[in-house]
Amino acid sequence: MAMVSLIRRQMKNHPALIPLFIFIGGGATMSALYLARLALRNPDVSWDRKNNPEPWNKLGPTDQYKFFAVNTDYSKLKKNEPRTSTETCPSLSWQLDVEGRWTLPSGM
Amino acid sequence: MATPLQLGFQDAASPVMEELVHFHDHALMVVYLISSFVLYIIITLVMMKLTNKHAHDSQEIEIVWTVLPAIILIVVALPSLRILYLMDEINNPHLTVKAIGHQWYWSYEYTDYKDLSFDSYMTPTQDLTPGQFRLLEVDHRMVVPTESPIRVLITADDVIHSWTVPSMGVKMDAVPGRLNQTTFIPSRPGVYYGQCSEICGANHSFMPIVIEAVPLKHFEDWSTSMLEFT
Repeated sequence: MAMVSLIRRQMKNHPALIPLFIFIGGGATMSALYLARLALRNPDVSWDRKNNPEPWNKLGPTDQYKFFAVNTDYSKLKKNEPRTSTETCPSLSWQLDVEGRWTLPSGM
Repeated sequence: MATPLQLGFQDAASPVMEELVHFHDHALMVVYLISSFVLYIIITLVMMKLTNKHAHDSQEIEIVWTVLPAIILIVVALPSLRILYLMDEINNPHLTVKAIGHQWYWSYEYTDYKDLSFDSYMTPTQDLTPGQFRLLEVDHRMVVPTESPIRVLITADDVIHSWTVPSMGVKMDAVPGRLNQTTFIPSRPGVYYGQCSEICGANHSFMPIVIEAVPLKHFEDWSTSMLEFT
């Protein structure tokens, strides 16, 4: 409590300290919030070893785990499907045969 | 590749590197502004005839030199964090190549369709042909198709190496027992050089990386010819 009254007295005598408190306080708050986000939302962190030992195995294709998405539209992402068309892996000569194996057309 | 007396980055060959170059220009401009301002203040202080022996404090200037640096830092940090997250995004690679570091060469494995793997040794200086680059050329280049996201899985066989191609904006440590992943998109055809970036023994400076980016048709011709060769 003595600290708070000291700070208040200093701010009255030196108002230039106010922006300093704002930026330092804001920076500390943002760091603490990000650390809390990492602790609670990061799938690499396991809090409950009995009921949820490996949360990284429960990743869904549309979940956003990173704080900020620049170019990726997470609602459009799909789980890794087996390759069934050349759209996922463009190739001029390799083709999928009847059983779904990649082969070169005969003669190549 | 790097050139003698070079001061800046190599020309960007991937979208990520272009972003990094633009960010570097932005941050460097901030640095130039601050440095020239400080230099001006110092010169003025030294050459000036006025002196004030009774100035104790000033609330106004304290506010200015708290708020202004905070704003400058935010102006630098926001683009920086944007690029950091951009570099980590998933981009559905069209091709996966494994790069394995050995003492003292790289080996590449293209196992998406068939087993294609080869070693990449530096060309010794006495075996160079005119026009080739000393300590940068290799006997077998890593060929990739242009305008396709390429995933590279990097590891090492013995000691820690580091797989680097500066013009693509890529650097990733090759750690034995660990698999690191990085992706890049070659924007244009060309030959791009890099050198091992983690001290790994006597020939650490003599195990370069060469990427040859070619259009998809040429890449498929090359991979077919390499399959026949190996």
